[in-house]
Amino acid sequence: MRFFKRPNINFMKAKYIAFAISLAIIITGLIFIKKNGLNYGIDFVGGTLLQIKFSHPVKIDELRAKLKESGFKNAIIQAVENSQDEYIIRVEKMGTGEEEEHLKIANRLVHLFMSPDEEKLSKEKLNLNLMSTAEIRDLLARAFPEEKAQIWAQKIADLKKERKIIKSFEELKEAGIPAAPLNYLKEKAFLGSVAIMRVEYVGPQVGKVLRHKAVLATVWALLGMLIYIALRFRLLYGFSAVLTLAHDVLVTLAFIYFLNIEFDLKIVAALLTIVGYSINDTIVVYDRVRENFPLFRKRKGMSFSELLNLSINQTLSRTILTSGTTLLALLALVLFGGEVIHGFALTMFIGVIVGTYSSIYQSCAYLDLWSKKFGTKGLVR
Amino acid sequence: MKRKVGWKFAVIIGSLLLFLYFMIPPSEKIKLGLDLKGGMHLVLQVVTDDAVKMERDQEILHLKSLLEDEGIKVARVYGKGINAIVVEGIPGDRERDFDALIASNFSVNWDYSGIVNGRAELTMKKKYEAMLRENAVEEALETIRRRIDEFGISEPVIQRQGVHGDKIVVELPGVDDPKRVRALLKNTALLELKLVKDGPFPTKEEALKKYGGSLPSDLQILPSKGQGYFIVEKMAAVTGRDLKTARTCADQYNLPAICFTLNAEGARKFEKVTSENIGRRLAIVLDDVIQSAPTINARISYEGRIEGQFTQESAHDLALVLRTGSLPAGIKIVEERTIGPSLGADSIRKGLRASLLALLLVMGFMIFYYRLAGVNATLALILNMIIILGSLALFHAALTLPGIAGIVLTIGMSVDANVLIFERIREELDAGKSPLAAIDAGFSRAFVTILDANITTVIAAIFLFSFGTGPIKGFAVTLILGIIASIYTAVFVSKAIFEFLYFGKKKVEKISI
Repeated sequence: MRFFKRPNINFMKAKYIAFAISLAIIITGLIFIKKNGLNYGIDFVGGTLLQIKFSHPVKIDELRAKLKESGFKNAIIQAVENSQDEYIIRVEKMGTGEEEEHLKIANRLVHLFMSPDEEKLSKEKLNLNLMSTAEIRDLLARAFPEEKAQIWAQKIADLKKERKIIKSFEELKEAGIPAAPLNYLKEKAFLGSVAIMRVEYVGPQVGKVLRHKAVLATVWALLGMLIYIALRFRLLYGFSAVLTLAHDVLVTLAFIYFLNIEFDLKIVAALLTIVGYSINDTIVVYDRVRENFPLFRKRKGMSFSELLNLSINQTLSRTILTSGTTLLALLALVLFGGEVIHGFALTMFIGVIVGTYSSIYQSCAYLDLWSKKFGTKGLVR
Repeated sequence: MKRKVGWKFAVIIGSLLLFLYFMIPPSEKIKLGLDLKGGMHLVLQVVTDDAVKMERDQEILHLKSLLEDEGIKVARVYGKGINAIVVEGIPGDRERDFDALIASNFSVNWDYSGIVNGRAELTMKKKYEAMLRENAVEEALETIRRRIDEFGISEPVIQRQGVHGDKIVVELPGVDDPKRVRALLKNTALLELKLVKDGPFPTKEEALKKYGGSLPSDLQILPSKGQGYFIVEKMAAVTGRDLKTARTCADQYNLPAICFTLNAEGARKFEKVTSENIGRRLAIVLDDVIQSAPTINARISYEGRIEGQFTQESAHDLALVLRTGSLPAGIKIVEERTIGPSLGADSIRKGLRASLLALLLVMGFMIFYYRLAGVNATLALILNMIIILGSLALFHAALTLPGIAGIVLTIGMSVDANVLIFERIREELDAGKSPLAAIDAGFSRAFVTILDANITTVIAAIFLFSFGTGPIKGFAVTLILGIIASIYTAVFVSKAIFEFLYFGKKKVEKISI
């Protein structure tokens, strides 16, 4: 089975079109990012994130209206995997942005989504869906022996872990809680309609440090690549490769902006991985160029563009196959990896496509351009 | 052309069994990160300014008592900023004595400005200040470690962020009670016993009025937990440092309280204070709030009791923090991530599903495209997975959700080495080489490329590791492991399988690739 049988495509011919497309994407991306900013997650701007599960479907517009009413104008809300009962709410730092404020915000958000009846109930009884395992145990221990309370509390914790939220006392009965403690729980506690899956708080200072660190890590990684490639190939290849990587990062950033992907720590990880992946692709082609040096010297009249085209064609099926398998694997992650990893997977997916394209149309095209202007000195050994 | 492949298979099977041994059973051997297990991730900042200021304030008291001893009457001694002391109104005829006093008592750790117009300034030396800050962070780290140990959280991670940083990273797997943990970590727990001068007063202003609006420097006003304010002596008679132990007990109304025992040094001080001040009130102050102010009825030496409106739980936690020592400086939580166990379980399910699907897709594709050679690559891929998981277990590295993503990515990327080799073999076959020669040439020529390409990826992953926190580090680790394993499986394992398949035969016409 073969996709390509001895391909002979003149890639370098289309390089100006490729430059134009890349440049257009990068410039529009940068303009919009400059104007509107990326959709920064709390990692980088500080703030509070809350992931909650409802016991019943709730419309996102309803939540949005409630948030607006209560003064959370900048709150961003998104449904988890298009579900109707699980949402992520992000609130940028408010007031001083200090921790005390965060606690208040998280608390207010949870209470915001409770119905008035429930709010009233929560003043009289304990909310089982918001209690920690230790709290449930201590509650049960007031009326039952300590060991028994421990076992039952653990059973309830396991049930919560599996179902995310407990909707009725029936479920507790099925999970093996005997009638006596069950009745006691019914008397002392109720099942609230909201459960907290995740609370994150990042202070305003941390974001600044992280942003700085992210840029620094990227720059250092690029510098590391430059040195390695300059040593293994020639300096011009190193520069060309690093320019390509910068291109990849910028194009991917543009896509991150246009797809409105939340820019958090994981996205930085994705960008650095894209750098690693793209350089891999570029090197395979460069490696072939290097291997073809003797052929180039032997054949008089062969232009550097022809050498590049030959090398790209020789490695084409590998380039396509590897990005193909990587994209297949990433597709599984994009489709089934879940909300927490979705932005990361999507960014990687885009980045792999960009990296594959750039290993042909950027990293080689720069060398081609150089050879046209300054000849092949510094390009061929 | 027969080759000895026996030893190679011994190595391969050996490595397979070894890594299987490391990882089985996975549910016990592979440590899960907080994002998969649920728990709390905290970054604490030690407010080291507190420690500097506290030391400076101590030194002000010290300086005042020295001046008193020497009979040098100055107008004012006060703190400036957090690290400077200003003395004003030094009498002209005592300037020399003042200089001498500073030179013999403060010259080691303080820069001295000299006297100008009867005013002098002492500034803490940079090195000394840095040491105070460093000690504060180290001490806070130890205290936090003791508290978490006593609280009984299994497998916590408590470490300093950076070598000289003022931040401490705390990871508490399985904790679902953020409120309680927060209080446990942040509670400075500075216990002081101070003699009451006057009070209680309903308001602060009322208390001030008694002293005509300004308080003598050795007194202070503190709020009481119950109600009102007391005027107490600034110098503590006994502090938490003199504490030997603390535990929960019951007060006379059978309500939860905390009983403490003092060490020998503390007991001596306590005995002196109580015997000299029978009939006066003693304030039990915790983090600058008076818990209670009982009247001293008799001489007490070793034991005391803190009463207040405690619940069983809060009494337990307070006894714990008192027992484990006070924090040398305030603690600020600058980052807090609490992942519920249900979200972690959800992530595991989804991560597993995505990994399995990715594995099936890639394997199916490889077999479809390369036939028998594809099966070879598939075997290499499976071994690769086992090596990654086995290494994680071996190094006790935690598997995180991004780590799973790293594995999925490795599934896609690691076949790259196989693809490079197979494509090379096909090229060599096209060039007219015999199948066996093509296999050899394919492997040896592709090797350089594989190495160059993967080393650069590892460089990127190393910078990623150095940048990232918890989950991101997990991702970098699986990525690096995956790359190393893929070089081994593609170059060594796949070749051995080829040799086993073809190099034993008398004549090979065609290979399935």
